[in-house]
Amino acid sequence: MLPIQEVMEKLNVVMDPELDQSLVELGFIDDVKIEGSEVNVRFRLPTYWCSPNFAYLMASDIREKVSELDWVNNVTVELKDHSFSREISQGVSNQETFQEAFSKLSSGDLEQLRRTFKIKAFYSRQEKVIRHLLSKGMTEQRLVSLTVSELEEILTGDMKGAMLKDRYLLILTELGLYKDKRQPAFIDEDGKAVEIGAFRDHLLNIRRTRLSMEFNAFYCRNLLLTRYNLQDAGSDQNESLEVKGV
Amino acid sequence: MYITKDGEEIFVIDGHVHYWDASPENQLNVHGEEFINCFHDYQKNLSPKEYIWPREKFLKYDKETIVHDLFVSGYVDMAIFQPTYLTDFYKNGFNTVERDAELVREYPNRFIVNGAFDPRDGERGLENLEYQVETYGIKGVKLYTAEWRGDSKGYKLTDPMCYRYLEKCRELGIKNIHVHKGPTITPLNKDAFDVGDVDEVASVFKDLNFIVEHVGLPRLEDFCWIATQESNVYGGLAVALPFVHARPRYFAEIISELLFWLDENRIFFGSDYAIWHPKWLIEKFIEFELPEDIKQETGVDLTMDVKKKILGENIARLYDIDIEAQKEKLRDDVLIS
Repeated sequence: MLPIQEVMEKLNVVMDPELDQSLVELGFIDDVKIEGSEVNVRFRLPTYWCSPNFAYLMASDIREKVSELDWVNNVTVELKDHSFSREISQGVSNQETFQEAFSKLSSGDLEQLRRTFKIKAFYSRQEKVIRHLLSKGMTEQRLVSLTVSELEEILTGDMKGAMLKDRYLLILTELGLYKDKRQPAFIDEDGKAVEIGAFRDHLLNIRRTRLSMEFNAFYCRNLLLTRYNLQDAGSDQNESLEVKGV
Repeated sequence: MYITKDGEEIFVIDGHVHYWDASPENQLNVHGEEFINCFHDYQKNLSPKEYIWPREKFLKYDKETIVHDLFVSGYVDMAIFQPTYLTDFYKNGFNTVERDAELVREYPNRFIVNGAFDPRDGERGLENLEYQVETYGIKGVKLYTAEWRGDSKGYKLTDPMCYRYLEKCRELGIKNIHVHKGPTITPLNKDAFDVGDVDEVASVFKDLNFIVEHVGLPRLEDFCWIATQESNVYGGLAVALPFVHARPRYFAEIISELLFWLDENRIFFGSDYAIWHPKWLIEKFIEFELPEDIKQETGVDLTMDVKKKILGENIARLYDIDIEAQKEKLRDDVLIS
């Protein structure tokens, strides 16, 4: 694999925490330069005002992921056209914490924020799996009793379903909610199984989360296109929201 | 006034309009330029092509333009100004009460101007609030919690000084508190768009109405949650409504969520003019129907009666507007001399 391909592969797993989509997929990666063991990644956002805290999380994730490549010695990250371009680019490239980079304006780290949005992403991904299974005719009763291994089994050979399930199980693991294959597949953020009596309400709540994230992703993606006069390369990823009947 | 195919009159109140000056002469720095660029991108992003303005016009438009766009071509009967100062970005402010009040003086039956406060102005700001009530008779204020002030990049409604301002509002009879979150944002370690502070003040100041502009976007889910708990929390549709054209399916999902969690009496129309033109927003909104699957899933519907409420009746209640009496007053209104 070429060095640039290796870098892109790493960037592919860096997510916008607010939108739960990869920076590459969102078109946020503007340029990658490689000179020997030095990598410079330049990224851009849909507006000059996008939240600096989320931008900081993305920038430090870029640095961290690309640094995992064993031939890479130094990673610099540059955020262009942003109200805090300088603070973010310098801060992350110098491996400062958010608080160090924004000493005047911030009090604390970003880990709680990261977790809050990871939980939103978790519910959003869960909703997509549930919705998929419901559309295949699975009953609510069966859904709540489903274990992880049964979920794996049921979705074997179902490409779309398997993809949604993989994304869901990945974030389950990242949040430390994955214990073993015999655990219930659909749980809340505290690891408690969703019970049949609460299922409808649970689904309504996570639907709201999923909708909000998708809406924001659509909005941001299009603002980026407008801001930089780009063509719409990838259409909307969200199959559940195709325009139908309107 | 919008007249439906069946001849029904719909009285329209636009709950969110601006009369701004973002001209280079008024820009204080690069932030002023970037702020209006961002607004212009919003317009370009979601408007039908024929409603996209050239940049020059977007920077500063005259009063004939706004009066024509709202009341002559745009079906709007009355409009409410939501001032936005941004004094760190613009020399004389972006959209100020003073500037809006000129239009109110000229078209008293058409425009309502809201005031503004910023708790970081301290005691002097409290006096200024009194002045705004005496001078402009304001019944509402627009708050921009993310506004920059030197090193401060925003405040929370739960800040102690903000409580004093809300108490002052109560005392002065200002009952409508419009709250905007973003897009200028704070580098705090928390989520700058968080609407949690609205929840807290709404439960303390139960006699005030809290109108969350842009229905809490980009935190729609949290906004819906808060609004179900607090009956004095309302949602303004500016920013969400343009999706009725660009992405009707998203709009269907959003409006059905709002109708489900809030009910049909607490949602208002707002164009955010001059970002979006009310003419096409209203035409598309009237035409729009919820897809069958969404109706079934959420159990809500967007009937013509519901649309009427959203377009005028709901906000009329908050601003003590008697729609029938107002219709009479406006019947012979001369707009363009």
